[in-house]
Amino acid sequence: MLVFATSDKGGTGRTVTSSNIVYRRALQGSDVCYLDFDFGAPTAGAIFGIHTVQRGTKDGGLHRYIQGAIDEPQRIDVWAESERTSLCGRPSGAGELVLLPGDEGGSEFVVDDESVDRCVDLLVQLNDSYDIVLMDLSAGRSFATELALRVTARDELRSIPTRWLVFHRWTRQHVIAAHGLALGVGGILDLGKGFGHDHDELQSAIRFVRTVVVNPSSEQLAGLRAAQITWLRQMDRDLNQLAGNLGIGRLVTLGSVPLDPVLQWREQLITDSDTMLREIANPATVESFEALAKGLTDDWITI
Amino acid sequence: MRVRPRLHLLEIWRGVATTSYNDNKWTWGGRFESNSVSDAQQLLCLMFPATEISSFGLGNPDRTEEATLEALANLGGAQKIPLLIVQVLHEYLDRYTADDGTPLFSGGSHFLSRDPDSPPTQAQLELDVVESFAASVTLMLATISFARSLQRSVKREEHLSSLRQLEERAGRRLTAAMVGLLRSFTINTFEETSRMGQALLRSVNQAGLPERRVVHDLRHELRDVIAGLRDEIQIGSGQSKGGDLDSPNLLFECGWSWGVIRDAERVPFFDLSQQRDGVASDEPYLYFTMVALDAIADLFTERTRRASLLDEDQQRLARALQIRWDLTQEYWAVLADFGPAQWPLEDIPWRATDEIESDYLSVLVAGVAMRNLVEVRADDLDLSRMGTLLSELANRGRITRRPTEDDQALQKLHDPGFQLPLVVSGEAIGPHLIWPVQDYAAVLLKRSARLATMLKDTDLYSDVLTLMNSLWDHLDLRRMKDGNTKTLWDQPSLAYSTLTRTYDQPSWQMTVRVVESLVLAAGLVANEPLRSDTLYNLTRDMISEAEHLLDQEFLIGADNAGPSMRRTIQSVNANLQRAKTILSKRPASAHALVSSVLLELDTLAAAREDSTWAR
Repeated sequence: MLVFATSDKGGTGRTVTSSNIVYRRALQGSDVCYLDFDFGAPTAGAIFGIHTVQRGTKDGGLHRYIQGAIDEPQRIDVWAESERTSLCGRPSGAGELVLLPGDEGGSEFVVDDESVDRCVDLLVQLNDSYDIVLMDLSAGRSFATELALRVTARDELRSIPTRWLVFHRWTRQHVIAAHGLALGVGGILDLGKGFGHDHDELQSAIRFVRTVVVNPSSEQLAGLRAAQITWLRQMDRDLNQLAGNLGIGRLVTLGSVPLDPVLQWREQLITDSDTMLREIANPATVESFEALAKGLTDDWITI
Repeated sequence: MRVRPRLHLLEIWRGVATTSYNDNKWTWGGRFESNSVSDAQQLLCLMFPATEISSFGLGNPDRTEEATLEALANLGGAQKIPLLIVQVLHEYLDRYTADDGTPLFSGGSHFLSRDPDSPPTQAQLELDVVESFAASVTLMLATISFARSLQRSVKREEHLSSLRQLEERAGRRLTAAMVGLLRSFTINTFEETSRMGQALLRSVNQAGLPERRVVHDLRHELRDVIAGLRDEIQIGSGQSKGGDLDSPNLLFECGWSWGVIRDAERVPFFDLSQQRDGVASDEPYLYFTMVALDAIADLFTERTRRASLLDEDQQRLARALQIRWDLTQEYWAVLADFGPAQWPLEDIPWRATDEIESDYLSVLVAGVAMRNLVEVRADDLDLSRMGTLLSELANRGRITRRPTEDDQALQKLHDPGFQLPLVVSGEAIGPHLIWPVQDYAAVLLKRSARLATMLKDTDLYSDVLTLMNSLWDHLDLRRMKDGNTKTLWDQPSLAYSTLTRTYDQPSWQMTVRVVESLVLAAGLVANEPLRSDTLYNLTRDMISEAEHLLDQEFLIGADNAGPSMRRTIQSVNANLQRAKTILSKRPASAHALVSSVLLELDTLAAAREDSTWAR
């Protein structure tokens, strides 16, 4: 299965959340690979704890491959090369976890027919080797998004199940922006139609992921004053109403990731030792990643 | 108020969800085996709050609240619940539609035989009953609005077409139910000297006046009703009687019988061949009258109008029903408080013209009369008398008082409850039927909640709330305790140790009445609190004093006296502004705010005075 991760704006936690999703998926036993298509800022290396590629690779990454400068993009086995002790060595029962980094100093570029061809080749090949191939796209309406839509419209990829995750923070502006990116004019759905996608089919493959969600009734917020909680609850209700009206409500939401102190300060994979041993991250955060990882391949029902 | 509508409704939903849905199948029936009345009541336990209270809405899965989903978790998730309800509503319509498309409103297992040795015949079980027409009116209105709202969220064509079908089928059943109500309306006329006439006169003549005069006065008070019944009843049942009413010695009563009247004329706007014949006697029953009035009221609520839930034919039928609704209500209201002495209604128990008397009948008459109090903008005195009456009925029903040993009230009102004999006109088609009603306590709560919504006076309001609390405490005791049915009703033996019978199935009749009361109570809580005029005037004066004092502080430059002083003055000013903003709606809260402001300002004044002694 191909999964495209995109977000309405920068700073939504798209990269850190999707990295955690593939990590959890690997722990659940699937072979997964993660493609850093964030051409402007390829930073996934840092999240997986791979120091040499923390700002992208120098040894030929996705960026240069798509432009035709190299024949094979670099692949990094996270279990073997991560410098975080808690990630070293594949746990028994876990699947492969592979990172394809972007290039250091890479930038956005114009999509041409050849780059589409090369991308198609790569995805067909990866899809044969892995259960889930997740592409982390740059934020907003980017060339990466256009590339993804053109690639998936091609006959070679038609038979491969494809899904889109739109990450957005749980605020008014982000909800509106996420709606615009996915369903608005010039958004994914709109662009996709132009590239030959079927409207309904593409729409049924889009799900939203809410990030940095402050849950007013959670234990975590026990320290807030009653007035603050009251305000939060009212805001939450209003936001739900807004999201519902915009057509990005519960029915098309795959899950939400709660606010977590660790993720606020450092984008990283949250391992079990972070929650159990050191207790710096919240178990609820891990639960949400696990649910998202599982939900990724569930039947997405449209009622 | 100890009644927590939201909490209790969620508890009830949890109970309904676990009792009614097992192994992917909807379980119909409760204390009575599945029949068109109980099944509708079972569904209304879900659908009524879902349509009446926005936070309980199920028609927009994107906006279903988490708490609601938790309560209904046994039915599935946010997507599945509405689809399941659609399926169950279809199932209800399947069960109660004959093969040729005739909508069925039969009483079925709800009909009991007065003679335990001879059960009702099949022909009797299939008779249409007014309570089913009434339940269907409410349920079908809820279904139509639910189906419409869900159509906006649903994308798949199969679901859309199922929803369109549901809307269409519900509309058809709604028309049929309205037609049924038009064919069971009755005007019963009798001579003043007849037994019925004498019974009626005994009820209304509380002042002990000469009969001739009472008849004359009563007919005078009822002149508008008589004119209405004579001139406006042009379709369905009750037409032929209108002409007799002008005869000066004739008394009458009007309302709904228990089923379609024998030989009732068929009504246009619905397939004539699908209007089944009835056998009900041509005389009103207070119970069915109340049930019909409550249902008909749903036809012209603001929501029904705004969402245009009725098509053109239905609007015509609704107008015809509204005429009967108005006249019936006025008739019983005139009877309830007729005469210069104590109200006939206050002479408990109410004695009907068939010479049956019961506290339950008093509750029913109070219910009708109360509806009318809204129309005539009754004064506080009338409302207060009504409140006293309801608490008296709660006492007599042994809800707020302990029962005596061997107390008849328990059997007659709670278990087995009030048993209405259903009279058939013409040839009998089986043993005598009875219609059991056990919801005395819940109906009292419903009426108290209704009364509370009408009150403006804070003292009266708090009296009625006290009554509601006691009624709720009693009802809470009577909830089932075991297994899936936990949180539903009714287990009267838990409230009365002398009652020994225990039930393992919920009574949907009782549960739906509680649900209706809670929905009313929720509306009550959602309104702004009643405003006390005394408190308003007092607080207004306090605010003006506080404003003056604050202006004095400004005059001596308190707001320029450093950060600490500035903070104090700012907070005083903010509290005062807030007090002014909320004064008209919540004078007590404004009072608390302005009190704190005055205290704060006085601390400053006192300090200043203290500084003057050494001058």
